[in-house]
Amino acid sequence: MQDYLKIVVTGEVDSGKSTLIGRFLYEMGSLSEGVIEEIENVSQRLGGDLEFAYLLDSLEEERRNQLTIDTTQAFCKTKKGKQFIFIDVPGHKELLKNMLCGSSYADIAILVVDVQKSIEGQTKRHAFILKFLGIEQIIVVLNKMDSVDFNENIFEKVKGNIIEFLKKIGLQPKHFIPISAKQGEGLLRKSKKMSWYKGLPLAEALNVYMKKERNGDLRFPIQDIYTIDNERIAVGKIVSGKIKRGEKVIILPLNKEYNVKKIKIFNENKSIAKAPESIGLILEEMGDLRRGQIICKIRPPQIKTEILTKIFCVRPFNIKESLKFRCTTQASYAQIKQIKGIWDSASLEPKPKEGILEETDIAEAIIAMEPPLVVEGFERLNSLGRFILKDSKDICAVGIIL
Amino acid sequence: MNNNAYLDELESKSIYIIREAYWEYRNNLAALWSMGKDSTALVHLLRKAFFGEVPIPVIHIDTTFKFRQIYEFRDRYTKEWNLNLIIARNDIALKENMSPEKGRFNCCTILKTEALKQAIHRHTLKALLVAIRRDEHAIRAKERYFSLRDKEFKWDYQNQPLELWTEYYKTEAEAGTHVRVHPLLHWREIDIWRYIKRERLPVINLYFAKKGKRYRSIGCECCCQPIESKADAIDKIIKELRITQIPERAGRAQDKEKEYMMQKLRSLGYM
Repeated sequence: MQDYLKIVVTGEVDSGKSTLIGRFLYEMGSLSEGVIEEIENVSQRLGGDLEFAYLLDSLEEERRNQLTIDTTQAFCKTKKGKQFIFIDVPGHKELLKNMLCGSSYADIAILVVDVQKSIEGQTKRHAFILKFLGIEQIIVVLNKMDSVDFNENIFEKVKGNIIEFLKKIGLQPKHFIPISAKQGEGLLRKSKKMSWYKGLPLAEALNVYMKKERNGDLRFPIQDIYTIDNERIAVGKIVSGKIKRGEKVIILPLNKEYNVKKIKIFNENKSIAKAPESIGLILEEMGDLRRGQIICKIRPPQIKTEILTKIFCVRPFNIKESLKFRCTTQASYAQIKQIKGIWDSASLEPKPKEGILEETDIAEAIIAMEPPLVVEGFERLNSLGRFILKDSKDICAVGIIL
Repeated sequence: MNNNAYLDELESKSIYIIREAYWEYRNNLAALWSMGKDSTALVHLLRKAFFGEVPIPVIHIDTTFKFRQIYEFRDRYTKEWNLNLIIARNDIALKENMSPEKGRFNCCTILKTEALKQAIHRHTLKALLVAIRRDEHAIRAKERYFSLRDKEFKWDYQNQPLELWTEYYKTEAEAGTHVRVHPLLHWREIDIWRYIKRERLPVINLYFAKKGKRYRSIGCECCCQPIESKADAIDKIIKELRITQIPERAGRAQDKEKEYMMQKLRSLGYM
């Protein structure tokens, strides 16, 4: 077993996300020689106890200000041979795009809550984003149990508050784990200081999670067309399903059917390829193929001019603005036709439905696209059901198709 | 998931990124090739992505202080793989006798970063494929797949753009700026070696132990130290990496001259 599970660690500023990962790596014996020494030196010079967060917070500015600025990743292996990648993300609202970036790579999530503070703004926002990105496997850890004397009643009370909020956005975590990242309690082994806790320590809880499978119907977005030895090849990555030599495929939005003549990987011809392989494809007819077309087989997705979406705003923009739309390799111009509602992503309170969408707002919107694109509901197929909106500068919103 | 399927997935993701970069930048794209194990794996991925005919130039940043074996390797495989090689060398600084004795930070900046600047300008490049990996260094772990460098080559690490699902990146770069594309960001050192083994890629023999020592990371002869090791074959290297506690760049002097050295070098445009 070589594959690793990618775990994003989310939660409010100062809830102890980087410390949790750092301590976990330390307990697991996953740190290189010299690294611990370096951390000891820096911790000492910056005048404090051994700071495990510095293992992740590698930038000078991060250590000086004791905050995570950008997302990072660290590798780790358990004694049973299971491999993890921890993804650290910042907790600050202003740095939410970095949290979004890190989370988009994750299979599962840990939501860290400071047990002294219960569930706050960014914790709620992070929980919303996880659900939005389709990450539903979540472990909640209640950190800083040392600061409440490992008290069971306080744990239970905060746990109750979290369950109540997460229910509102449709999340039901399997585990609520009391820990002290700083002292290493509850991470690898059951904590003697919390014998009242009957559940699994974090490392064991993580052991049972698996990656999502990528079965389903064939979807192959064409990435580019190359000419090699006078032969045209459509290249791209299969996002779901399988493709076989000799079978008939449908090319959307052309709505044509062609036979698969060759499947090429490097200098090899293959009879079958499957997600998530990057391949080259030669069909019986290549003349009208180009980037942005979707090759499929059965149950083809629909060609849409208008879609009902939920969007998460990452940079303020005017809802009347003309935008660029990207879904896999497809690109189009987009215009918001109708706003059904705008909400604050932490409180989930509704906001006025006009003007400017602010950073971190959520909106339900009907979007019109020109030219029309090939899309699906996010629940059915993630990759053709999610998209980004760009204004003239950069990504301003991330969306899913309802 | 077995070893093969796992390597296939890493490879497929890298090829996707390489092809996206080629789609975006076409003739203004080049790859950096130091002849080390990672960038040689990158060149192999380029060959795979383009079915054997690499359509973009590969750049060797030549400080002239590299190991002899590096030059031999370069010349042999440039020919064998039919590569379009660009040698980036800061001849003016070399004439003025720039060397590590004038400070490693200076030397790296002038002979590597500055030489690269000249090459980018000369060949009107908009983007570079660079074979860095997250697990090499905590600063590299902060990188994006598509990472902008401004006119002065600076990396604005405090304000990086949003990237999602290895699928959406910020690819735009104003005149004078360029983008570093990192297709191997998600590979680990051990993955690279497993891939080298599976794909039967050639590697420079400095990586293999002789008299109880081997190089784990190679560059300029004067600034690389070998590690204690008995690994004189790929399988032994893989075995060694499974248990070692020594970081990969332990033998690279430029990372350690002072604290945050790597951050400072990188913020000025170092790889």
